[in-house]
Amino acid sequence: MNARWLSGKVAAAVFTLLFVIVFNFFLFRVMGDPTEQLARLPRATPEEIDKLRGQYGLDRPLMGQFADYMGDTARLDLGTSQRSRRDVVDEIWDALPWTLLLVGTGTLIATLLGTWMGVKAATRRGKKTDDALLGFNLFTYASPEYWIGILLILVFAVWLPILPSGLQVTPGAQFNSAFAEILDVAKHLILPATAMTLMLLGQYFLIMRSSMVDILTEDFITVKRATGMRWDRVVNRHAVPNALLPLVTLSAIQFGSVVAGAITIETIFSWPGLGELTFQAINDKDFPVLQGTFLIFSFGVILANLLADCLYFYLDPRVQSK
Amino acid sequence: MNTRKIMKIAAGFLAAFALLATAALPATADENGNGGDGGEVLRIGWAQDPQTLNPFIGLDEESYTIWAINWDLLVNFDPEDLSPSPGIAESWEVSDDRKTVTFKIADRNWSDGKPVTSADVKWTLETLGEEGELFTSYTDNVTAIRTPDPKTVVIETSKPDARIVGGLLIYILPKHIWDKVPLEELTTSYQPSLPLVGTGPYIVTEFDRGRQITMEQNQEFSGPEPKFSELQFIKYGNQDAVERGLQLGEIDLVPEVQAATFERLGEQANVETVDSPSPAFTELAFNLCPEELCPDANFNPAIQDLPVRQAIAYSIDRERINQIAASGTSFVANGLLPSFYKSFYQEPDETYPFDPEKAKQILDEAGYVPGDDGIREKDGDRLSFNLYTRTRSESAYNAQAAKLVAEMARDVGIEFNVQEVSVDKLTELTVRQVDGKPAPDFDAFIWGWGGDAYDPSFLLSLMTTGEIGGSSDAFYSNEEYDRLYAEQSGEFDVEKRKEIIARMINRLQEDLPYIVLTEDPNLQAYRTDRIANVEPACPAEDGDIFCEQAGYAPLLNLEPASGASSDDSSGGSSGILIAIIAVVVLGLIGFFVVRARKRRDEPLEVDEPLEKDEES
Repeated sequence: MNARWLSGKVAAAVFTLLFVIVFNFFLFRVMGDPTEQLARLPRATPEEIDKLRGQYGLDRPLMGQFADYMGDTARLDLGTSQRSRRDVVDEIWDALPWTLLLVGTGTLIATLLGTWMGVKAATRRGKKTDDALLGFNLFTYASPEYWIGILLILVFAVWLPILPSGLQVTPGAQFNSAFAEILDVAKHLILPATAMTLMLLGQYFLIMRSSMVDILTEDFITVKRATGMRWDRVVNRHAVPNALLPLVTLSAIQFGSVVAGAITIETIFSWPGLGELTFQAINDKDFPVLQGTFLIFSFGVILANLLADCLYFYLDPRVQSK
Repeated sequence: MNTRKIMKIAAGFLAAFALLATAALPATADENGNGGDGGEVLRIGWAQDPQTLNPFIGLDEESYTIWAINWDLLVNFDPEDLSPSPGIAESWEVSDDRKTVTFKIADRNWSDGKPVTSADVKWTLETLGEEGELFTSYTDNVTAIRTPDPKTVVIETSKPDARIVGGLLIYILPKHIWDKVPLEELTTSYQPSLPLVGTGPYIVTEFDRGRQITMEQNQEFSGPEPKFSELQFIKYGNQDAVERGLQLGEIDLVPEVQAATFERLGEQANVETVDSPSPAFTELAFNLCPEELCPDANFNPAIQDLPVRQAIAYSIDRERINQIAASGTSFVANGLLPSFYKSFYQEPDETYPFDPEKAKQILDEAGYVPGDDGIREKDGDRLSFNLYTRTRSESAYNAQAAKLVAEMARDVGIEFNVQEVSVDKLTELTVRQVDGKPAPDFDAFIWGWGGDAYDPSFLLSLMTTGEIGGSSDAFYSNEEYDRLYAEQSGEFDVEKRKEIIARMINRLQEDLPYIVLTEDPNLQAYRTDRIANVEPACPAEDGDIFCEQAGYAPLLNLEPASGASSDDSSGGSSGILIAIIAVVVLGLIGFFVVRARKRRDEPLEVDEPLEKDEES
């Protein structure tokens, strides 16, 4: 791999991350003096507020605070939650695996299913299968994720009570084995992961479909057909790999909306991940936690983009030649 | 990657999910609340879990709920009427000058087996009472705490203070654990280690933050053995999810239900709802700050004209506010002290029943005549006021009540311009200061207060001159009231104290710094197929079932409903349904696989070649 190209990409990513970190600091300062929110005690005296300000280093000049903040962030010290008084890093660390599980499952299924349906629709363009798939995907694409989520709960948890309506494990359950616990979590994962999948599915489908439609009209496809190669072989061996390229970019770009979706879906399904942590922090005006989750989300998006760039480098020789 | 491979992977996933769903079946059998030791678990659901278990820094109601189960107060509340009853102290004696109270410490043990001593009490009152953010005001009048022997505590105060018995809301902590931690750490980031050593019937053994708190029976507990072996507080993502959890039988009890969904929840099978008064109220407050105290206050002076406030009081139909804004779940209030304070409540002489004609008459007599737009005025003073309230998202009830108040006052010729603002903004308007003096910037607002479980001093203090610049947000000042306040706070005789408080409340009803609209309810719900022997307590007959934040006594009476553990009505049918779905999913997969195979066997694809899109 071209080392210069790679280092350029990494440098750009690091620069973006630095910008986010700096921006994060000022964003939360613009939102007002945190002690005013902190002093939720109606009876907080000015002395108590001063004490709090001292505790959080808010009595120092802005530039000094900024230097502290940069130093702390570099040491991965994201501060202390105003609500729980625990390290923000710990709060995030507790929530991260759950979000990865949900987002990972949802994205994986959406990608596979979306791609597959996209290929199907493109090869049957204009036919009933295409219409049906297009209709279904446009519908899920247009539906807000909270609506899908509530509908899923209504159908599968309330009308046919076959799946839990929320949480990540059955409350109060005692498990005899780790396997039983994994099964329980899997059972709880089905609805939120389905909601996540439905939220993402449409976009993958639409991109894959249009990309495939483009490829299928290329000359080389006609040539392949002319050699007498079987149609499904033409599609699978020659059209699909080429059509997959835009999907890689899409996955990266979509990571931002995945994050937004995670906040809604996790809240609806009481899924204790980063999204719910963020929602709770917004409610509590817990700025250090918000700052932390913003940072993690930004980091995720930047990382996803960097990975997509690298993947593209391998997949598309045109990038390498430049 | 080709489509077939993708399809196979997708099919694999679906199959895995179907298998998981089917395999999860056996798990349903033992999920219905059986503790590890075979006892019954009481599962309580909420949308917010405690921020911390450390009382030095915790601020939220949820933390109180846990503390009140884990620990005792020096003097607990009797769930019958919330009057003082033995807690850490088994008995007490008030000296003749009422400035010294001697407590006898009960023979009890901490959950780690160490005895409870007077040193624990002294350390807690001095340390938590000094440094705990929520506990500081209770020991203001205490001058000395003496411990002549391990079972005796003597509390001396600068003046008689009835709160020493029944109003010291400071949970007694085990000194041998807490004093090992430096104060600096206690008041900043200390997270107590588990199990949380205490004296209550259950102690916290597990705090899975954001998910679950587990409290197990305290083997050293001196009272009757609780019927449930374990409590689990389960956190959901939002209030709707909590209530759905109850409806679906995932949890057994919800200590806080929303007013809007209360009625519907009660209609669900096996769900019982409880609507009980609480020591909290919602008030319409007026800016009464006198010129000499608040030279820079900003308000329409007409609001300080008594007839105007009386007319407002008569113009408001408090029951209608309750019915519409609170879905009928609240209780119409009469005066500052909620009827929840059974020992001290007395209906005031003047209750301002809804009477718009009388309101108009009062305004006519005071010389306010309707202008062209129907709004009354006198010498250019228009009866047009701002009315602040919290935003709909912060309190739908307050916002709706404000609209109703404006609507009803409009009928008698008084205008309220409702402005929904954030709590922060509302706080800013009420605590505004100019040159170190209070300078409140409002005419009226709607907001609420909550008092302590038994002792009414806190709510009564809101109207004292001493609280101007502190908690007072109507900036009311009255010498007689201040004198009576001091008198009642030192009166240990409940009957005498009740007399004094009645006079205070009557004074307020005449001067109307607040029009207290409703007493806010505790709305709770529980599953009748899981919990039996539910009696209203705190206070008895019309109180709640859980005695949240006041004590654990009613919890000890709750018992598992018979056959609760084996009764899983949805289990059987859900198993069949899951099986059906699994079959359908597997069938679909099979269908696709077969079809795909068939397609591969076809010699030539018959699809027409595709035309290029016009646009590309």
